Amino acid sequence: MLKTTDLGYWYDRQENSLFEHVNLEFKSGTSYAIVGQSGSGKTTFLSLLAGLDKPRAGQIELNGEPINKIGLNNYRKSHVAIVFQSYNLFNYMSPLNNLLTAMAVTDSSHRGDKAFAAAMLHKLGITDAQMTKNVQKLSGGQQQRVAIARTMVCDAKLVVADEPTGNLDEENTKYVIEQFQRIAHDQHKCVIIVTHESDVAKACDHSYRLAKHEFALEG
Amino acid sequence: MNFFKRAWLNLTAKKGRSILLILVTSAIMLFVLAGLLIRNAADSATSNAKRSVGATVTLSANRAAAFKQMRSRSSTSKTSRPKLTTSPVKLSDAKQIAQLNNIASYSATVSTSANATGFDAISTSGNSSTSGGMGMKGGSTSGSGDIAISGVTSTSSTPAFEEKSSKMTKGRGITTSDEGTNHVVIESELAKQDNLSVGDSIKLKATTGTKKTYTMTIVGIYKASSSTSTQQGPGATDPSNSVYTSYTFANTVKGSKYQNTADSVTFKVSNPAKVSAVKTAGKKLINTSKYSLTTNDSSYQTVKASMANVKSFADKIVWLVTIAGTIILALIVILMIRERRYEIGVLLSLGEARWKIVAQFFVEMVMVLVVSIAVAGVGGKFVGNQLGQQLVSQQATTATTSSTATQTKGGQPGVGGSAPSGNRKPSDNMSGAPGSHTSGTTTQKQAELDVSVTVFDLVELGGFGLAIMFLSIMLAAGGILRLQPKKVLID
Ligand SMILES: Nc1ncnc2c1ncn2[C@@H]1O[C@H](COP(=O)(O)OP(=O)(O)O)[C@@H](O)[C@H]1O
Ligand SMILES: [Mg+2]
Repeated sequence: MLKTTDLGYWYDRQENSLFEHVNLEFKSGTSYAIVGQSGSGKTTFLSLLAGLDKPRAGQIELNGEPINKIGLNNYRKSHVAIVFQSYNLFNYMSPLNNLLTAMAVTDSSHRGDKAFAAAMLHKLGITDAQMTKNVQKLSGGQQQRVAIARTMVCDAKLVVADEPTGNLDEENTKYVIEQFQRIAHDQHKCVIIVTHESDVAKACDHSYRLAKHEFALEG
Repeated sequence: MNFFKRAWLNLTAKKGRSILLILVTSAIMLFVLAGLLIRNAADSATSNAKRSVGATVTLSANRAAAFKQMRSRSSTSKTSRPKLTTSPVKLSDAKQIAQLNNIASYSATVSTSANATGFDAISTSGNSSTSGGMGMKGGSTSGSGDIAISGVTSTSSTPAFEEKSSKMTKGRGITTSDEGTNHVVIESELAKQDNLSVGDSIKLKATTGTKKTYTMTIVGIYKASSSTSTQQGPGATDPSNSVYTSYTFANTVKGSKYQNTADSVTFKVSNPAKVSAVKTAGKKLINTSKYSLTTNDSSYQTVKASMANVKSFADKIVWLVTIAGTIILALIVILMIRERRYEIGVLLSLGEARWKIVAQFFVEMVMVLVVSIAVAGVGGKFVGNQLGQQLVSQQATTATTSSTATQTKGGQPGVGGSAPSGNRKPSDNMSGAPGSHTSGTTTQKQAELDVSVTVFDLVELGGFGLAIMFLSIMLAAGGILRLQPKKVLID
């Protein structure tokens, strides 16, 4: 569903490009890991896939349509859900309102469906009491579960995550990875996870390594 | 409209910050409201003054033209002594003018004098007997009788009674129903000295014209305030010797050719702002070589000028506070947006339109504004009152000073016969008793600066508040519109 063509990116000069001529394809119903050393450009690559930045060269197509044609704002709104290392929740809202807000902003088909949002939070182990108190009162692991639940209540078929387990302990990491697998397989979405943890990479269906400015399929 | 809900959630979740915002906004709104209140109060005080501080137009003989005529005649014929001939005002002319727009009412004045017969006039020590020359109303043939007769349409419409420097104490005043009668209203001192009361008769002997003796019936006794006596020139008799009759009686005393005339007719103008329009229209109806129309709206002008000062000061406050408030709130909003970059980044990553993010901030500020206006409305009454009082006491001092100056000028002996510059009616100077200047009442009227918070004030304040919020948000919106979600979320 997502295809990059001759994708290239550099910050200051082309000679210092992080990657060039990247031709990759990501399919729905599948989870992908992107691994690589710190500073290799994983986050930068993911921000291009998420429509948070424009590539310097080449293009990204969603189901055959270049995403700059869709419009990056529209693309983010309707087609991609993002999970970050730092959860990225509205800190002045409860978990439930975080989900309802995301559903409203993205024009989700479940927009306004409180019961649906609550059911998703339940699925991810958030209790009724936790659901309605301020999200900052939850632990890091719980907050990341809320962020994952948020991707599940939105219609976006593409889910990208940047180091989603970076701040989590082993138990929570395992749980979060399981959830991403379920999103890919049960909801038939395309999940792309940037990570530096080999356990996480192994759990995904496929994994690419970014090294020496190139992506190589590892498994 | 999810941004409404977000705005609400944000304000209620961050209570401390919201309360601070409300306090700052309330303070700014309070200052704007104070300015608005004073400005509106000055406005309504000016329009009240328009209604209550009367302005008048007076129809009288054109003395300037008469003098000119006299001079030209004396240069051609050297046989006779030059004689100043002025024509008394015809009441038919006055009635025509009274039909004009904005004329509320009119009253005629005829001044003459007669000698007390069978009772004693009050004699003031030092009162020279050379009366008649200096303080006299020109053009009248009144002699130098010891009783000054003010023939009026009604006593209540004379300046002395209108300004309450003279008051009826017994009986009643002269009204239009007294036309053609020998009814008289005398001063209380004269009544006391001669043991006269309402219903008694007195005799007056004309000193000129018919030289007849008239029997008068006292219908009322008035009291002139002592302060008015300072007004009179040396030529006038004691103010207590002033009596009021119907103008018809005064004309009778002066002689048959004075029937249906008056020394002057004063028209009350209902809207002082229209005084010069009335004068222009009136001039078309009269023979301007014989008669002149003079206006007196000095009280109105004084009030208007001092209120204009208050208003311009209040205007400056409103604008200054609005500009300062906009700057302060814009800085606060800019700081708030910097503090909330992360939240904005999350919204952008969800694909929220930037204008909706700006709208959320605007809605938050409007919610703050609504509470602040309520707070300011409660406090505004107090602040406005304090400020208004301060301003009025300042302005009143200035106004009194300026009108005192006018009064002194108008009250000078001898000036009375000329065009009524400072005083309302030329006749006032002759009799001395009725008529004093209006400074006292003018100042009182200014002090009534009504500072109360109305719904309209709050709506106006809301308008200013919305403008301030809108400008602040617009100034700060650049920060939102330029924000790159990648920079916010990934660093
Ligand atoms: N905004 C930026 N401006 C310039 N250089 C940047 C910027 N962001 C990241 N970089 C550089 O680009 C390289 C890749 O960064 P990043 O994509 O965050 O790598 P990774 O996520 O793999 O650790 C790093 O060397 C980093 O210093
Ligand atoms: Mg990274």
